[in-house]
Parts: sequence; structure tokens; C-alpha cells
Amino acid sequence: METVAVFFGGRSAEHDVSIVTALSSVIKPLELTRKYKVEAIYIAKNGAWYWDEKLKDITLFTSGAIESFIESAKPVSVQFDGGMVLIKQGKGLAAKKQTTRIDVVFPAMHGTYGEDGSLMGLLDMAGVAYVGCDTASAAVAMDKVLAKQQAAASGIPITKFVWFTKTKVDNELAATIKQVTASLSYPVFVKPAHLGSSIGISRATNDQELSNALEVAAHYDNKILVEEAVQNLIEVTLPIIGNNEPIPALLEKPLTSAEDFFDFETKYMQGGKKGKGSKGSKGAQGYSQIPAELPDDLYSTAEMTGLAVYQALSCSGIARVDMLIDSKAGKVYFNEVNPLPGGLYAHNWSKAGVSSVELVEKLIIYAKERAAQRQVLATTFSTNYLQQF
Amino acid sequence: MKAIRGFLSLYSLRYPATIVYMLQSTEYNTAAYLKWYWRTKDYSTITYRRSLDYTRPARLLLLALRLGIGLQLLLSLVLIGLGLADILGGGLLFGIGLIIIYPVLWANLVVIPLVLGRIFISKPAEAKLIKQSKTIFADHKGIKIAVAGSYGKTTMKEMLLTVLSEGLNVAATPANKNVSSSHAYFARKLTGKEDVLVIEYGEGEPGDIARFAAITQPTHAVITGVAPAHLDRYKTLKAAGQDIFSISQFVDADKLFVNADSPDARPFIKPQFQSFDNHSALGWSVKDVDVTLDGTSFTMHKDKTAISLKSGLIGEHQVGFLVFVAALGLQLGLTQAQVKAGIAKTKPFEHRMQPYRLSGAAIIDDTYNGNLEGIRAGTALLKRLEARRKLYVTPGLVEQGAESAAIHTEVGRLIAEANPDMVVLMKNSVTGYIKAGLAEKNYRGELRVEEDPLYFYTNIGHFVAAGDLVVMQNDWTDNYA
Repeated sequence: METVAVFFGGRSAEHDVSIVTALSSVIKPLELTRKYKVEAIYIAKNGAWYWDEKLKDITLFTSGAIESFIESAKPVSVQFDGGMVLIKQGKGLAAKKQTTRIDVVFPAMHGTYGEDGSLMGLLDMAGVAYVGCDTASAAVAMDKVLAKQQAAASGIPITKFVWFTKTKVDNELAATIKQVTASLSYPVFVKPAHLGSSIGISRATNDQELSNALEVAAHYDNKILVEEAVQNLIEVTLPIIGNNEPIPALLEKPLTSAEDFFDFETKYMQGGKKGKGSKGSKGAQGYSQIPAELPDDLYSTAEMTGLAVYQALSCSGIARVDMLIDSKAGKVYFNEVNPLPGGLYAHNWSKAGVSSVELVEKLIIYAKERAAQRQVLATTFSTNYLQQF
Repeated sequence: MKAIRGFLSLYSLRYPATIVYMLQSTEYNTAAYLKWYWRTKDYSTITYRRSLDYTRPARLLLLALRLGIGLQLLLSLVLIGLGLADILGGGLLFGIGLIIIYPVLWANLVVIPLVLGRIFISKPAEAKLIKQSKTIFADHKGIKIAVAGSYGKTTMKEMLLTVLSEGLNVAATPANKNVSSSHAYFARKLTGKEDVLVIEYGEGEPGDIARFAAITQPTHAVITGVAPAHLDRYKTLKAAGQDIFSISQFVDADKLFVNADSPDARPFIKPQFQSFDNHSALGWSVKDVDVTLDGTSFTMHKDKTAISLKSGLIGEHQVGFLVFVAALGLQLGLTQAQVKAGIAKTKPFEHRMQPYRLSGAAIIDDTYNGNLEGIRAGTALLKRLEARRKLYVTPGLVEQGAESAAIHTEVGRLIAEANPDMVVLMKNSVTGYIKAGLAEKNYRGELRVEEDPLYFYTNIGHFVAAGDLVVMQNDWTDNYA
């Protein structure tokens, strides 16, 4: 039986979202397949790795008992020997060392050091198959500025934007605001370039709001994106899986007003609707229309745009492409890519006819398929360079 | 290790509550309880799917059990003390012996008050009630329809109640209360003004049906079918069929309606009986049957009259029942509009071919089904309906006696003929027979055998997606697992 290691947690603002993704959408369905031995690898907020069966229990995290677990548990170490081996020291004097070789890694991580290519780079070095986008595509996808530039270079429509470094925002706020207003018209959206789950995103309709929004975004990231809002807005998102032949799920339309947007609170804490008295408690499942009710041609254009972005950014395994639609102009703009959608967007896949169990099985197959393709690539080149040296 | 854990479970603090839970789960049937008790190897896993419902009888029983155990332990300690003090020779050994045996002793002693209570209190009270009910039924001027059969009784009773109520004053026995004592309680609530009484007969052992009929004195009777059920007491299917058809001694032959779609009922059908099936009933013929997840529709024809009907009940096997009830309604004076409205009101009952949506998939919950004919209907439905992926889930049937192997092999064959993409069996004593039936018919889909049914049912949402169809038939409660 193959061993699949599910990585979650991590040094990221989306640490908690990652725990839910891992435990509810990855580990449980993987175990239900009964085809894999599933190991839970939790990366604490300080970056230490832990490996334990107890980590599969959500109550460990919801009760806060994870803190005492971390205090008493020994972090795991990793050995690269033509693959990846996890090593855990046992407790007590006569305790045995516990090891396991990992066949496939399933990163269930969001944000920095997990979804942004960092972990993928480590796994590439180890030569172990892993689920989802590879190092380069994850890094590009997680940088909203780079992703827009890459999409624009492939002829995919994007909204007008400018970007700044944190240093620039911190030291030259007034000049930054001026630069924004010279290039873009209000309203604008201000976003940390590398964060997902809508953390740190603000909408600004005047200089004062822009100033606040820039400060908020600079609190989270060293690269800040400011983009012009789309008029007559319909936001849609498209989950996609696959390697060379990507398969779309269903176009999903969040049920928020044009003035509103998906911030973290809306997405994960209120079940989708802003304000008090909102109904629904199932996160992404509670606030969307699936499939999005759009005219057929607009639906088709959005679907094709999503697939084009997936390929332009060389995504593989799984990703979700967010798009903005000007409903009056009938124009679709690429917004951003999420290399590991929260909860894998299993709710959408389920409506598209792919169960959670099928989804994780397919993702494992894609991971192994890509690893096999890489395996046959030449990594050596014979020269007499050294002899001539 | 397992044996040690099982032995230690006898001495756990939860043990008395487990004993009462076992009694409650078997509805205080002492024979079934003792059978379950003696085959159990580990009492710590008994209350896995459910736990004790602290009703008044359960609380009293638990208190008595704890007091008894407490007294025995106290006595043991006294004896040990006397033994150690050399006051009572053998006190030590006897005291230890009492401690060792207390769990088994009290698990068996607890049935004594139940048996005595039944003999001296419940039975005489019930007998009195039943005697009174015989008079009430005899005096009642309404049409009295008895509903008997190995399966489909509650469905037929509910159909009759729903449809006939459109034009008549109808009373029916509640839920699946179908033995003499429940008939007696039902009789007490009658006003005497009802046009029709519908009385369900729940056969359990030879002689039951004749006994029920002698008390309720039906004017009409419906036999819904014969199938292997309660064979642990009937022993043979023939004996079960004979018991069910003994109703024919109590009603006129032209007022005995038999479901001829039931293969095992056919040998008992006499020409003078009124039979009905999926194609005809009481002179009406059936055409244009359509089955979807929203219900079943068909047209019934007689001479130049055609009536289109739609029911919320799902499955082709429902057509025979529906057309019979519609035809009987017309015979009893209902208008076509009333019959149509009544049939439209028939809906699936809880856990009986009841559809619901889960993760976009259609689930047919038939977990209260417990007989081969139900399995036949469920697998036929699975075969008939279109779906992206089809899943079939069952633990098999209970109380199949000596026929269990043959019946479960047939279950396997039926499943294979429906050809689902995935078959999920709950591991138990009949799993091997179902697998044999599947193999016999060269089933090529995915077969999962689940050790833990609860874990599977809890997580079924992970297995299904939009466009999938899942048929779940029967469910073994703790006392059968």
C-alpha cells in the first residue's frame, strides 16, 4: 500500500484554513479509498513538523489541545535518500525510532511556505511525487502581480493594475496614492500580492480609504497590488484539475453584491453572507451559485478563459481560477489563481459529478503521472569540461 | 488480547447500562436478549451505534440491577473479611467467587422480573383488552380490511388509508403496530362511525394470522406477498405462506385480494381469489408506467375509461399496489377525482424507498426493508433508473433461518443483475453468501466490504457526487450486528 503524506498548517496567515482543508477534504477521503496509508504531517506556526495519528482529529485543533501536543511531541526530521523518509524519535530511554517512506505528498497548505512553491521546491529536490501545481507555476500563481503579467503576455484580458513594494508604501505613502490615482480610477481593490483566502484585501473608493487599504495590505505582504474595479461586476470562479488536459468543474458565482467582496470573514466565518442574521454555515458551500447562472456565451467564454489561464501559468494537478465579468460589456477578465483551493472546492466538484473520494484519487494519479514524466527527463549532460579545467 | 478486553468489559462501570440497553433494543424480548447476550464477546462495543434511552422502565431496571450488584459485592467483601479473619472457613474463596460471577449472574437474573411481569401482569391485562376488542370489532359496522403478508404491509395499509380517506371515513392501525395487543388499543380508540377500518397483521409465528383474524373479524383482506421472513420461527417458506393465507378462512373468496406479483404467494392463490399485479387489478389494466426519482406514474384502463395517476412512491413494484388501491377505491364508491387526488398524496414512508439528496446524488433509503422481495424491488429500481454511477449498499437480511445461505446468494445474484458500479456490503455472517451470488453472476464492479457500517454511513457523502444513484437496503441494528 502506498503512503501518502498530507502536509498542512504551516507558517502562513491561512494556517487554520489549511487544517480544515487537510482534515475534512483530503485525509478523510484518502482514508476512505482504503488504497493508501495516510500520514498526517502538521507544520506548526513556528515551522516545526509533527507526524502523528492524533493530528487527524480536528478536535485537537478546535479545542486548543494542539498547544500541549506540540509541547510534549518531538518534531519530525526528514531524510532525502532518493526519496523522502520521515523520522520520528520515540519517547523515553528505550523508545524506538519510527520511520516511514513517503510515496506521494499531498500539500493541503494555503499561502506562504506551502502553496507558494516553497514546499514544492523541497519536494522536487527530494524527488517525491506531490499533488498540485509545481514549484514554478505555484510561485507565479501565488504572486498576483506575476500571474497577471503572465496571463496578459498570453493574451488573456486582465484589469488595469499597479503594484508596489512594502517599503515604497511604508516610506512614500502619499506618492504611492498619487501614482495609483494617476493610473487607475476609483473604486480600486488593494491586495497583498501573495496571500489567499481574501486576507488583507480592501476596497477603496477615495484617497483616505486607499491609504488605509495600502497600510493593511503592507501589514501582510511585501508586494502590494492595486487594481481597478470592474463595472457591472459578476465574480466567478472555476476549479480545474488535470495536467496536460485540464478538466473544469462548474463555474461558481459568489452571491455577494458588487460593493461587497469575499473577505476572510465572509468566506470562512459567516458561511458566505455578510452582516448579522446571515444564513448558512458551510463556508464556500453556503454562499455560491453553482453553476453560475450566466448567458451561455458568457459562461463558455469564462470557462475558456479559466482553462487558458490554467495552461498559461502551467498549472497542474489542481487550481482554481477567479475571474471578473463586466456583465454589460460581456467581457471576462482574469483575476487571480489559487493553486490549492480551500477544501479543494470539493463542494463544486461534487456538483460537477466528482465525489470527494474520486477527487483525491484523481489528484494522486495526476501527481504520479507528472512525477513519472519528470523521471524520464535527462538531468545529466556529459562533457569534458572538468578534464579541461 | 481481544479475549482479555472482552472479559474485562464484564466488570466495567458501563456494564449494567449495557445490559439494560440490550434489553431495550430487543424490546424486552427475553429470548432475543439472552441469545444476544450469550453470543457477545466484548460488552464494551455493544452501545456503538446507539445508547440507552433512559425511559422510566429502563431507569427502574438499571436501578434494580445496580442495587443487586452492589449488594452482591458487599456480601462478597463481608465473606472475604470473615474468611481472612478465620471466622468463616471458605469465606475467602466464596467471596472471590461471588465477585467473579456477578456480571453473568445479574445479566441473567434481570430477565426474571421481566418474565414474571409478563406472565402475571402484562399478559392478563392484554388478554382482557383483546377480549374487549373482539366485541368492538364484531359490533363495528364498517368495512374491515385486514392487511397481511411478509412484506409491504405498512405500505399497503398507508396507501389504503390515504386513498380511501379522500371519500370515506377511514381508520388504520398506527405505524407498524400489527399484533393483537396493538389491535386492541386501536379498537379502543374507534368511534364506531368509521366507514372503513384498515388493520395490519404482523405475522411472527405459525397461527398468528388466524388468531388476529378471529379477533378483528375482517370483511376484506389483502395479501401483499409471501417471502422468506421470520424463518427462524416459521422454519419453511411454505409454513409462512400457509399462515398468511389462513386469512382465507375468515373472508369471502371474492373479498380476498392477493398480490400475484409475489412469486412465493402464487402457489397459494386459488382461482376464486381476486389477484392483482403490476398489469391489472379488479378488471382494470395498466399502461404507460414511468418511474423517476420523483415518483411513479401510470394509466389504468377499463372498457373506454382511462385514468392517469401519479404517485410519489418510487418503483415499478409499487404499481400493482397502487392500481389495486385505486380500483378498490372506485369499487367502494370513490370518484375518479378522489382516487386521483388520493394516489397523488401517496408518498414514500420513512426509510422505505425514500429518496433524498446528498452531495448532489440521489439516495434511495430503503433501510427498513428486510426481505428478499424488497431487495428484488430495490435492485430492479437501481437497474431501471439512469445514473452517472450506481452504488448499492446492504448488510443483507436478518431472521432468514436455515434458508439464509440460499436467500443471500440470491441477493448477490440480484445485485449483480442490477450491475451497480460499486457494491458495499457490511461485514457479517451473511457477507460470504452475497459475495458468492455476485461471483456466480460474474459481477465486475467495485466491491467494498465495510467492517464498520456506522463509519461508512457517516461518510457516504464523500463517496457520491451529482448524478450518482445509491440504493441502501436494510440496516442491521446492534442486536443483529
